Formats: sequence, structure tokens, C-alpha cells
Amino acid sequence: MKVFAVAFLALVTLAALAPSLLTGGVTPDAADALAALQGPSADHPLGTDANGRDVLTRIVYGAAPSLLAGLGATALAVVVGTALGLLAALGGRVVDEIVIRLVEIVLSLPTLLLALLVITVTGPGTVNVIFAIALYTAPGYARLVRAQTMVIRNAGFVEAAVSLGLGRGRIITRHVLPNAFEPLAVLATIEVGTALVAAASLSYLGLGPQPPAPEWGAMLSAGRDYFSVAWWIAVFPGVAITLTVLSVTVVGRRLQRRIV
Amino acid sequence: MIRRILTRLGTSVLVLWGAVTVSFTALHLTPGNVVDVLIGSSVVTPEVRARIIADYGLDEPLVVQYATYLGRVLRGDLGRSYQLHEPVVSAIGAQLGPSLQLAGVSLLVAVVVSTTLAVLTARRRPWIRGLSSGLELVGVSIPTFWTAILLLTIFSFQLGWFPAVGADGPAALVLPVIAVALPITTLLTQMMREGLELVLEQPFVLTARTRGMSDLGVRLRHALRHVLVPTVTLIGWLVGLTVGAMVAVEQIFSRPGVGQLTLTAVGGKDLPIVMGVVLLTAVLYVVVNVVVDLLYLLIDPRLRGAA
Amino acid sequence: MISVRRFRAPLAALLLLPLLAACGGTSAPEQAPAGPPAKGGSLVFGVNTEPANLDPHASPQDVTGLFTRPVLDSLVALDDKGDVHPWLASSWEISDDQLTYTFKLRTGVKFSDGTPFDAAAVKTNLDHIVDPATKSQLAAAAFGPYEKSTVVDPQTIEVTFKEAYSPFLAALATAYFGIQSPRQLALGPEALAKKVVGTGPFVIDAYVPHQGITYRRNPDYDWAPPIAKHSGPAHLERLEFKVIVEDAVRLGALTSGQIDAIASVPPVNVKQVEADPKLTVLRKQAPGGNYNYYPNNEKGVFADQKVRQAFRDGIDFATVVEKLYFGAFDPASSAISPATAGYDKTTETQWTYDPEGAARLLDEAGWSARDAEGYRTKDGRRLTVKWPFLKALAREQRGTLAEQVQAEAKKAGFDVQFVDVTPADFTPKALAGDYDLIDFSWQRADGDALRNLFAISNIPRPDFFGQNLARWHDPETDGWLTGALRTTDPAERAALYAKVQQKANTNATIVPVYVFTYLLGASKHVQDVTFEPQAFPTFYDAWVSKA
Repeated sequence: MKVFAVAFLALVTLAALAPSLLTGGVTPDAADALAALQGPSADHPLGTDANGRDVLTRIVYGAAPSLLAGLGATALAVVVGTALGLLAALGGRVVDEIVIRLVEIVLSLPTLLLALLVITVTGPGTVNVIFAIALYTAPGYARLVRAQTMVIRNAGFVEAAVSLGLGRGRIITRHVLPNAFEPLAVLATIEVGTALVAAASLSYLGLGPQPPAPEWGAMLSAGRDYFSVAWWIAVFPGVAITLTVLSVTVVGRRLQRRIV
Repeated sequence: MIRRILTRLGTSVLVLWGAVTVSFTALHLTPGNVVDVLIGSSVVTPEVRARIIADYGLDEPLVVQYATYLGRVLRGDLGRSYQLHEPVVSAIGAQLGPSLQLAGVSLLVAVVVSTTLAVLTARRRPWIRGLSSGLELVGVSIPTFWTAILLLTIFSFQLGWFPAVGADGPAALVLPVIAVALPITTLLTQMMREGLELVLEQPFVLTARTRGMSDLGVRLRHALRHVLVPTVTLIGWLVGLTVGAMVAVEQIFSRPGVGQLTLTAVGGKDLPIVMGVVLLTAVLYVVVNVVVDLLYLLIDPRLRGAA
Repeated sequence: MISVRRFRAPLAALLLLPLLAACGGTSAPEQAPAGPPAKGGSLVFGVNTEPANLDPHASPQDVTGLFTRPVLDSLVALDDKGDVHPWLASSWEISDDQLTYTFKLRTGVKFSDGTPFDAAAVKTNLDHIVDPATKSQLAAAAFGPYEKSTVVDPQTIEVTFKEAYSPFLAALATAYFGIQSPRQLALGPEALAKKVVGTGPFVIDAYVPHQGITYRRNPDYDWAPPIAKHSGPAHLERLEFKVIVEDAVRLGALTSGQIDAIASVPPVNVKQVEADPKLTVLRKQAPGGNYNYYPNNEKGVFADQKVRQAFRDGIDFATVVEKLYFGAFDPASSAISPATAGYDKTTETQWTYDPEGAARLLDEAGWSARDAEGYRTKDGRRLTVKWPFLKALAREQRGTLAEQVQAEAKKAGFDVQFVDVTPADFTPKALAGDYDLIDFSWQRADGDALRNLFAISNIPRPDFFGQNLARWHDPETDGWLTGALRTTDPAERAALYAKVQQKANTNATIVPVYVFTYLLGASKHVQDVTFEPQAFPTFYDAWVSKA
């Protein structure tokens, strides 16, 4: 299981970084109406879509935009969440109380709805999707960092550092962050899966990257109109999303078990 | 106990206030004149414009606008959708029934199925656990909309067992419920099984067994009760997940409901509706949490004494 | 990739089922012996879109006509050939100067809320359409230079125009001019948006947005137009439109027998439906503007006629349409469809796919250099086409078509870029002319549709959303279009409209793409669904045979 997961992730990463290596010169927008809706064959291992574009090529080229939203949202959420968490833990009681309540409020709103609200305001697009997903995942990280920081703050080595007269900034970068890093990394790995699914859902609903971008959720969405005559257009991007999320989750859990 | 209730009430008010603030902020962050944002792509008469300005106090300073908005929401007035030509409350009200039905049944199914699975698989032979946790992993990784499409194709179009569309009768509910409940069930099963396994290692379980209690009896009478408390805490969060999953599922099964309403509103930039739905779900969250607190008292008698 | 293979086999086996099922019944569809129409029964029709406002006088959406036709009758009825027949008006006269129409109204007609139908009711309706408070976008535009209506006596009404307006009767026959109960009209726009009351063969039972609408039979109905197949009350006891937005779901609901008929069979599935012995596909070409691409003639790259023509001739539209729609839609050659009165058949040979010619035109226009990605350039600027594409409202896989055109255009050296827009930000762009290309289709059962598309007065401007999105400013064409308004002689009108269509092609004002054809999928037990001239199905004559 784990070997497959790591191998698959490596493959997806390669596809995201250098798609042309895997497709041998075919481009994802090479439309050919004469070759539309062909089933899997030697020429097109995963078939062609309604525009006669090779589905495998599009999935390979789609790795980058599909991962971008999930990874981007997670990265943004980790940064914002960490800042908020540190602020809460080290900023005194009043700040702590405000941040905690803020976190609770955001967590109380259903995730997808919050994203939809953001997109109603900003309009569709990759950047807006990243922003929307980050907004509702950040509080989770804030909570984790705050808890970790509280524990570490009371640990002996920090007290020692304080008594040695080290500055606050130095204590945070030297002692607090490195210790909070591991659990944060684990949570982030697991949450990348959630963020990927969320991004794909938003694309599916037509709110993510725009055609002809070969994003997986958008491909699935476009393929559903042809489902009864050309199942491969929707099925393979779905498989790609599921396997990626599955692999990320397997790896994340492994990390978690090793640490806890 | 009283302290607990007071804290909960305070938090509830804060959550509601936060939701109102979030939607107020959204309204003012949207590019363009607030009146234009509210009416979206519809066309209205100058009189209606004037009424909107008066209703929302748009010619007043921002603080007053905020107070006006807060006051309106407190009176249960969520404004009007100018695109649907009706008040937000009645627009949502008309779609609420089918959504509540779907959400309620899905949650119930998820809880019952995951409890059963957890009780049956906790601390069993490795292959049973392995199979179960493998399935669970796949369950969380499959996007809900994809599950919905696969279910639809196989069980409705091909086998014809269930209707493909609508919300008429229990048969129309089966496939949407499976699609919505699947990820929740898998998450819950995992958590409950891990909880159960911890409890089953406790000394009192051994005591019960030595007194001759059957294995199933131990699991149901003793262990389950301990696991239910942390599970119940999660229900508020699960409700949020359910609502999110429903948006795509309602669209795919062409079910009427709040999800469809929201999606159309997002596409048409009908902000009053989206704001209304956000407020409504905040209320739902608060209500669910109050119910959860009451459930605590039922499950864990120790809390009753804490008064 | 190993994991993918492991997944593929079982899924493929599972999902191949639809293909096999589709190949099963290849016998030619035979019309079941229908026999006499059966009374009673109900019919459920799955529709792909719904109106935001039920009042056809006010709504800008043509689908409002579909939803209100069962309930609303018009003063006159139009047949397929474009001839006008009596309906709620039993006869009419047109004055010699063509400014005054005098209608004699049918007697004994009642609205379903009990209000009597008379000249005062008609006047209330016509005035409601032009009332600025109604904010009518479709009906008022089709009303032209309407001046006033006068009640002569309870059964006679006089409609006066400021100028001669020959398309009036054809417009009057549409559901957008459906006659509503004055009592309902008095309730105001909010009430009308949810419920309309008329004299029609059906009465609205319930309307739930996003879900659908149900109608019950009007038992008193006795004033069907002579072009209908029967008279008296409708055959169906109950009629229901279910809103099913997803193409695959709507199709699945039909093929699995859950509903009786569906709107808009996806072209890719037409063969599959026809191969099913229980199902059939009814076709009807829509009149009015084809689905066309409208280049901005006023500014940007397409202000140059050579560039417009190179775009039209450099892309093999006929093949693309044929392949993507599997022959379900015909490639278009003119701005208007063959089903429109006044269509000019000679346009079919006026232009054709000519990649070499297109390349020459672009060279002549100065777009002779190519950049690294193969796009043509002029003075270092790329040949870029900005296309605000309204994905939210796109039907019939127009998005797929657009992507194909984008890829074909690249071969010709055009860089077509989609600007993703919501309906809300589409309007300001359209009004300001902030685009190079826009796509839409515009149904209207009269050659006067050309005036919508090409009259100078219909160029969108900040205070007016006209359909001349090509922003074609041609006084000669305007002269022909106005001339056609002044005559009711079909041959004379056709001659003028032919000139307009030919000039539009010579000038490469627009790019005709395909002729929209209504593809209605129905179970074979559904009989006698007919189409009104606007190519929307009507259900007055429909009935359901007991299987």
C-alpha cells in the first residue's frame, strides 16, 4: 500500500513538473474533431474526449493545475494558521480569547458554503479557489499551533531560554516553531487530501480553473455530459483524483503513526 | 453545570454574531455599489433602489449600516432576493424540507452504519480490520460528486432500481443518501473503532468479561457508551460536512433543496440568498450543539452530578 | 500507473453497459398504431432550463414562453408556413396605411379565475407590456413602434402604431404576447413572477423554482385555434415540467422510463435514443437567428473585414459542427435559420472553408509574421481574440464547440482567449463593446429577426441592450430592414431580407455556426406533441396511449 502510494505520488509530481516527459510531445489542447470520443486504444490508452483530445495527455498535464489548488490552499492555510496560533498562544489573554472565538466561528460554518460565499464575492478562478479553501482550513492549523506552543512554552527549555534573556522572536524561531513543526507537517499532509477534494469539487461545480485548462475536476465535469457514450472522459480524471488523495492520505497516516 | 450552559449560550451568540459579520463583510467587500451587488443581474425600478437604500441604511455611516443589518437579521429579516422576486426567508423555506430530509437521513444512516461496523470490527482478526480500514480509506478519498455519478449510472440508468431525479418518496432518497453518507460513515467508523479499541483494553472490560458477560454484551453495554461521548461532540462538525456534500449531490440528482438554491445563487451572484444560507447554517450549528449538550447528559451521568 | 490499470478493468466492464445497451435495439423505429386520442392521464416532461420570472410580458428569457404557453392563449396563431390564423381574435383588419389593426374578439371566453375576456382585458395586457414598470425585455422589443390600443366596444379593439410594422401579427402569436387575466396582472410583478393566469387549456397548479411546474386541465376550454388537431379541453388531465439541469440525468430519466419526454436530448445521445425501441426523437428547426459568432465589427482585430473573413473561412465550421454534434444540427450558412420566413437559400453556396484564402487574407491584412507559438503577429502584436464566454448559460455543449474552434483557430494563427464571465459582468462588457467575439442564438419566428441582429438602432449602448452584438453599422442594410417593415407582402419582404443576408456574408459581418434544432426525446406512448413556430413543444393536443 505504502509503496504504491509513494510511487504514485512520485509519478504525479513528475507529471506536474515535467508533463512533456510523460506524453512525448503531444499537447493537451491538440483538438481533433475527427478523433472525438474514441475509446481506450493503443493510440489513446485512456481514450479521447469530445474534442478528440487525448485523455491521458490531459490527465498528465492536469496534474499541475489540480495539485496547485490543493497545495496552494494548504500552504496558505498553514502560514496564516501558524501566525494566528502563535499570536493566540503568546499574545496574552485578550488576544488569545479573540483568536479562539474567531477560529470557532469559522469552524462552525460549513466548509463548502464558506467557499461558495467567497467565490460569490470574488468570482471563479484558481486563485480564488485557493483563497476560499485556505480560509476554512486555516483555523485548524491555528488551533494546533496554539496548543503546541502552549505546551512548549511551559516546557523547561523555553523557561530556561527566557531566563537566559533571549528575545521573544528568537525563542519562537529557535524553540517553539521547530517543536511545533512535526505535528503541523502531519496535519498538513493529511489535510492536503481534503483540500484536493474540495478544490476538485469547486472545479466540478464550475467555479475553478476555466477551460480548456486540463484540471481534473473540470475534466470530470465536462465528461459527465458524455457519460453514457464515453465513460472514460469522466472516469479516468476521477480515478486520478481518488488515487492522489488516497496516496496522500496513506503517506500522511504513516507519518502520523511514526510520530505519535 | 450552569456555568457550562452559560458558556455554551455565550458561544452560540458569538457564532451567530460572527456569521452575520461575515456576511456583512462579504456584502461590502464585493466590488461594486452595494445596491448593485444586492440586486445582482436583475433589473429593478428606481423606487425599489430607493427602498433598498432605505432598508439597509446605505446612505448612513458604515457603523449605522452594520447596526441596521444586525437589527434586521435579529428580527428574522434576511432581505430579499431581487433575482427570485421573493424574500430570502421564503426562498430558503421553500427548499428547506427536502434538504433537511436528505441531511437527517444521511446522518442517521452514517451513525447507525458506522456504529455497527465499529462494534463488529474493533479488535478483530487483522484481515477484517485491514479490509474495513482499506475501504474506509477509499471512502474518504473519493470525491462525493464522483460517487454520486457512479451510483446514478449503475443503479438508476442501468439497473433502474431507483429514480434518477427528484424528491418523491423514499426510493428517490436512497442514492443521494448513500452518496452523502459514505464519507461521513467512513470517517466515523475510523474514529469509533479507534476509540473502542482503546476502551476494550481498559481493566473494567476485563472485569465485565470475567463476570461472564458475552463479548457482544461488553461491546454494546460498556465500551460503546464510552465511545459515544467523543462521537457526539463531532456531530456539529459532521452537520457541516453533510451540508457541503449536499450541494453537489442535490445538483447531480436534480433534487430540490438549499444546495441547488445556493449554487444557482452563486452563479447568478445572488448575494442575499448566499448570505441567507450562511446565516441559516450558523443557526443550524448552534441548534445542533445545544442538542448535543443535552445528549451528553443522557450518555454520561457523571455530568449530571456536576451541577 | 500500475494502480490505474488495476482499477480500469472492473470499472470498464461496469461502464461499458450503456454502450452495449445502446447497441441492442437496432430495429428501425416504427410508429405504434396510435388510434383515437385517449382522454385523461398525465405527462411528465423534463426540461433543461427554467425561467427566473414566469411573466412572459416581462421576462427576458425565451423559456418563459415554454412554461406559460399551456396557460396563455394569444390573439392570433401562427402556423409553420408563417400564415396567421384566428385564436382569441376571431378576425382582424389592417388599415391601408398599416398603422391600425382592428381585432374582433371571440365571445364566450373566460379566464380560469372567472374574469371575462374582453377588449378591456386585451388593452390592459398590451399596455402592461409597454409599461416602463414592467421592464419588458423580450415582448416590448417585439412590439416595435406601438402607440396605443383603444377599446371600440367590448368585443372590438384597435391597435395603433406610429409607423408601419409588418411583423406585428407574428409577434402577437407568441406566448410573450399571451393574454393574462387583468385580475392577476393587477397583483403586480412579484405575484406574476410566480403565477400567471390566462384562458389557456391548462391552469397552473404549483410552481416550485428549481423543481418544476404542474398544470391541471382547464375543463371549460373551448377556444382552441383552428390549426390545432382537436377542439375542446386538452386530452391530458395533468401536465408536469420537471427541471433537470444535468444532461446525463435528464437522459437517464427518459431512458429508464421515469419520465415521458425530455427537452434537449444531448446531440451525442440522439442515435442512442433512436435505437431504443421504446423511444423516439422529435426534431424541429428553430426560426430566427442561428447560433452564430458575432465578431466586433467596430473595434479591435475584427474591425478589419479581411480578418473577420479569414476567421470564418480559415476554420472548417461545417466539419466541426458535423462531428461534434453527430449530425444532429446542420451547419449554418446565413445569419438566420432555414425555418425563418425570408430565409435565403443562396447563402448556402456563398462561402466555404478555404484555409489558403484565409491565410492570404491575413497576409494582406498585415498579420503575416508568426511568433514562437505559431500565432500570427503584426508589428509585434499577437492576433488575439478576446471572447467573453458565458459558461453558466451555455447549452448544447457550446463550451466543447468553443474549445474546438479555439484549437482550429490556432492552426489559422488566431489566439482565441476565453474571458470567463458571469451573467452579471457579461452585460457591461456587451454594452461597452469590450469584446472581440460573442456567441448567441436568438429565436424569433419572423425574418424581422434580422433587424434585431443588424439594425444600427440595435447596437448595444450603455442604456440599451440590443442584439446587434456584431456592432454592424450599415445604413444600406438599415434601409432594407426598414423597407421590409413597411410591406406585408411576403415576397417583397423575402427579397429585402435576402439582400441583408447576402450582404452580411459578403462583408463577413458574422460567422454562422449551426442551426439550432429542438431535439425532443419522448417515449413512444406519448402522442401528438406539437411544436409552436418558435420551436417550443406544445401539449394541448398531446395524449398518452395506454401501453
